[in-house]
Amino acid sequence: MSALIAASAIRTCFGDGAQTFAALLRGDSGVVPLRQGETAKLNVSCAHHAGTDDPHRPFRAGEFLAQCLADVAREAAVDTSRMRVVVLIGTGLRELSAVERWALTGAGFDVEQLHFGEVVRQALPGVAEVITISNACSASGHALALAQDLVEFGEADVVLACGADTMTQSMLAMIGRVAPEPTTQVRPFDRDRDGVLLGEGAAAVAVVGPSWTGPALGRLAATGLSCDAHHETAPDIEGISRSMRDAFDRAGREPAAVDLVVAHGTGTALNDSAESQALRKVLLSAGGDPLVTAVKGSTGHTSGSASLVNLDVALRCLAGGQVPPITGLRTVLPEADGLRFAVGEPVPLRPGLVQVNAFGFGGVNAVTLLEAV
Amino acid sequence: MNGPASLVATAWSLHLPGIDLEPALTERFGRPGDWARHEAVPPDKAATVLGRKGMLYKEPATRMALCAVHRVFGVPAGQRPGWSPAPGTAVVVASNLGNVETVARVTRTIEAEGGSAVSVLDAPNVSSNVIASTVALWFGFGAANLMICSGAGSGLDGLALADLLVRAGRADRVVLVGVEPADPVATELFAAAAGQPALRAGAACVVLERARPGEASDAGLLVRFTGDSQLPDTVIGPGGFDPARHWGDFYGARDVVALALAAELAVTEGRQQVGVRGSDGQARQVLLSTVGSRS
Repeated sequence: MSALIAASAIRTCFGDGAQTFAALLRGDSGVVPLRQGETAKLNVSCAHHAGTDDPHRPFRAGEFLAQCLADVAREAAVDTSRMRVVVLIGTGLRELSAVERWALTGAGFDVEQLHFGEVVRQALPGVAEVITISNACSASGHALALAQDLVEFGEADVVLACGADTMTQSMLAMIGRVAPEPTTQVRPFDRDRDGVLLGEGAAAVAVVGPSWTGPALGRLAATGLSCDAHHETAPDIEGISRSMRDAFDRAGREPAAVDLVVAHGTGTALNDSAESQALRKVLLSAGGDPLVTAVKGSTGHTSGSASLVNLDVALRCLAGGQVPPITGLRTVLPEADGLRFAVGEPVPLRPGLVQVNAFGFGGVNAVTLLEAV
Repeated sequence: MNGPASLVATAWSLHLPGIDLEPALTERFGRPGDWARHEAVPPDKAATVLGRKGMLYKEPATRMALCAVHRVFGVPAGQRPGWSPAPGTAVVVASNLGNVETVARVTRTIEAEGGSAVSVLDAPNVSSNVIASTVALWFGFGAANLMICSGAGSGLDGLALADLLVRAGRADRVVLVGVEPADPVATELFAAAAGQPALRAGAACVVLERARPGEASDAGLLVRFTGDSQLPDTVIGPGGFDPARHWGDFYGARDVVALALAAELAVTEGRQQVGVRGSDGQARQVLLSTVGSRS
């Protein structure tokens, strides 16, 4: 079985999906000085902010999410009066910045605003169910997996799998705490990478069943899920590999068939190494030779949105025949020996099968396989 | 998202520190068995259940969740589970306020002393999924891992997703946990909006496997979503025995506490059929019914 992507919308530091993809092809980095909190206190000096508004204003993740929902609802002609529509939101930090604001100023809020039920029902009245999945940096990949299951079982006509995240002071401080010097540029898979930067963003895709008669952007072969059950913060090669194998098993495809990997690529010491070794173990050892790209050098780490931001980029690679290079990558890390990265210039490629990776804090892994309709 | 009857509950537990279940249950249902007299240690005494190693910087909600899972699998007090990794077991946790105290505390520390005063050991705790991933890490559960933070309906959302994980072949078994702390931050945030009753700390766990109707191995407790009109006389939740009225509101853990309580009433107390009525706006209903006999 498989499902289709009827529409996709994202918000990143560059704007919408078309603007983001154009920036990626140019090799632009959307990094700017941090506008939230104080550099001296956080040991974080840069970030990838979305929008031009005050990043201290609460509930911005929900606002970005509502924009993406409106886009996909329009593009996929989602009609909640005729269709059973379920919304699954993947998020890393929910609206916890409101908790932080409360802690410092006493500014109260409705506790139900920590998740996105109300903002979704306002943006798209009539949806059947709204569920918030707080699965760190692979949250929207988990939402995507469950969305496919729901449409394949015929329990929804459309599932809007979403992601949304802005930044919290507490997460910024943790990034700053482990960095000797503040990171100024995310360098995915670079030998000299020195850490991650957060990126604000949101994403939504309309997942529909194979009987869908409207326009479609791509075919979802499968999403594999696993949990490392290994370490709270350090990723595990075996756990990541299991999510990849789960995706291939569910899709009935071989690892060697992958032409393009849109990697998680956080630019951190441990993640890039583990991801590279898992790609070598599962794909290269099976005879594969995929091109590998990654977006966080341009967009920053969009946390719970990251998987669907990668998916939007993958859809544009399928449609356009060009793969953007990895911004910030100069010298490939040794553990990635044998992997073929997109570096410097866009690479002409019309991939058949694309693998989209997402790995989160706590070892929560989601790997999606996507192909042209 | 109300699939066919596909789950059996094979084990369940309640971990409700400081709550004497017996008076309210006796008044409504008659004197319950020993299960209702189980003493649940508070989070700061969790080491007596879980062992001392690994307790440092564990959130109160994480500790209660671990205690509930520890109890459901019958691990001896003070010992870590000794079995090998379970790649087919998924974890689904429902909680809304599990880490808000840490987020508030870390934020105040940054403001007062700067980020260098923050401990990196709190890093996992500033991400809300720490409870679900810690349960997986502690017990070796390697299938899908979901942290549900949907509000009051998180528990039955979690049950629906547990059902989906099993049907989709993403897990052989799902450990569903509901947990909510009642630290000063969580309590104040909850009270600011929700009014009465007050937030109450607690955890519950229900272990779910795929139902194979007709097979002897599935004798036990069938769990399925149902219409409100089909609920039996014994109902946990609004309109029935409502734990919130007696003990306080478990918020994100509310529905899983109700499921575990319903399981005890159906099986241990011999009521055979017990309903759980969700209390959020989506108001799902669940029927638990005993089938066959486990001999």
